[in-house]
Amino acid sequence: MHYWPSLARTFYGFLVLCLLMGPLSADAQESQGAFLDVGLLVFDPGIPADKAARSRLGIFPEIRKSEAKYMPVILRDVLMQQAGWGAVRVLPELMDSPELLVTGEILHSDGQQLSLQIRAQDAAGVLWLDAVYEGLATPTDYTGSPQSDPFLQVYENIAADLQQVRERLGAARTSTIREIALLRYAAALAPEVFGDYLVVGESGEYVLQRLPARGDPMLERIIRLREQEYRFIDTVDEQYVNLSDAIAPAYLLWREYSAEQAVFVGDFEDRVLGRKSRARPGSFAALEQTYNTYRLSRIHAQDLDELALGFNNEVLPTSLEISGTVYKLSGTLENQYGEWRDILQQIFALETGLTPSP
Amino acid sequence: MNNLRPLFPIVWLLSSCLMACSDAPRQQTGLQARSDSAADFSGHWELDYGQSDNTQERVNVLVRELRQQAERRSQSGQGPAGGLVINGNGYNNGESVSGLVRLTDMIARTALLEIDQDEDFIRVRREEDSDLTCEFYDDSLRQLETPFGSELCGWRDHQLVFRLQLPGGLSIQHVMTTGASRARLQLTTTVRTDQVSMPFTINRVYNRFLPGERDFRCEMTLTRGRVCTTGPR
Repeated sequence: MHYWPSLARTFYGFLVLCLLMGPLSADAQESQGAFLDVGLLVFDPGIPADKAARSRLGIFPEIRKSEAKYMPVILRDVLMQQAGWGAVRVLPELMDSPELLVTGEILHSDGQQLSLQIRAQDAAGVLWLDAVYEGLATPTDYTGSPQSDPFLQVYENIAADLQQVRERLGAARTSTIREIALLRYAAALAPEVFGDYLVVGESGEYVLQRLPARGDPMLERIIRLREQEYRFIDTVDEQYVNLSDAIAPAYLLWREYSAEQAVFVGDFEDRVLGRKSRARPGSFAALEQTYNTYRLSRIHAQDLDELALGFNNEVLPTSLEISGTVYKLSGTLENQYGEWRDILQQIFALETGLTPSP
Repeated sequence: MNNLRPLFPIVWLLSSCLMACSDAPRQQTGLQARSDSAADFSGHWELDYGQSDNTQERVNVLVRELRQQAERRSQSGQGPAGGLVINGNGYNNGESVSGLVRLTDMIARTALLEIDQDEDFIRVRREEDSDLTCEFYDDSLRQLETPFGSELCGWRDHQLVFRLQLPGGLSIQHVMTTGASRARLQLTTTVRTDQVSMPFTINRVYNRFLPGERDFRCEMTLTRGRVCTTGPR
């Protein structure tokens, strides 16, 4: 992964070239199509800060952290299979004004049950959905294929709800959301120029006041920069897809074992609690039966700890490597963002003669 | 003896209640979630048969004490003479005492211990038995409740105590102690049943050992099972 710094340098050189180039060809914005781009933020793993609570709730933190990166990729794939979306990207952190931002929190995940809190909000600040999506799986739902997620229905339900909202929007509203997204991005980069194109209403929604002139050179620069940012984010997104592919075999096995374990423990409890001992109270047979029942129940519970350890041993090195790459890329992007802002401010000063605010 | 028997469940219930309070203060359980003098038990330990209790000797002591107890009660008019009724069906009968002893011996038979410990957690891996685990995340004692029994654990100064309360009036306590040199570990296992008026205790002493240095190391994985790679540990 040592090629990233050189890639960043190449990218930066290309960026400066982009800014120095002439105006965009006609209607570059329109050529991007009328679909909304979707940003899927890496999920909140839902790990309680209280370590005792983690243990009580049976949460394995490292597994949850992996799930938080794995699950958005599954949702991304489902959305991409649906017609009607632009680019769907997994984001490491909140970026400025994606056209549609989807965030999620893992409320419960144990192989038998998945429960996700999903929130989607467009660039205009309109909330599309804020709901809990749940699914149940049995051991027979685990086919052994990394392509078939036993909770696929959960992701399909989320995608269906998003699609339903999108279909109600209409072309004009879709276009407005895209314009607002662009102007929010522009205002973040060049507030002196684009700061007053939008106002935020009392409900927190963005309202377009006016649009820049067609062919506005500053806006074209912004569009070029955003395209460059997207390319960067696509590289980050690719890392999450790689991570998802890498951990899928171990993760599916973990969930399958975990589901089998839960079923077994349930059966074991039913069997043992419904059993009547024929041994005389106090006899070795009676005491041994009581102790062994407890011992076996603990061994089954502790098997899950061992499996979690096996998962960590297998997945953590890959996860750390890819997280490191994403971290470097995000850091690079953040630096680039600062530099873009400076360059745009200088161009603005050159073009208008006004001194930009510090 | 039988005159006392109705009192026993009450005493037992009271002690169980004390153990059942998850955040029970120290004065109730005698245990703390954290201790400034907490010992470090981590490492590999093997049973030292020579230093450990001889079960038969402990049985002899138990039987003697049961007899003495019974005689005292008989003299004070609280129960019949004789402590251990070999073929009886009631309290302190031979079968119950034998059951208590055999179960204690079975639980304390572990020859090897492998202990992982950090400031928040300890896991005692025992051969042929479930692990003993304890968490020290906050100031409240950790209690685990399952349909098959409950666990309470915590520190008593430098000693780590595990208490299990199982159905049918069976309770087990493990107390782990080690000295400053950490060369030896004592595991004291005490078992009580509601069929015998005295608990039975076995002390096992373990010596620290270093597992053989190897030029490969193994770890558990999910997709490939146990994977061993060459290289230093």
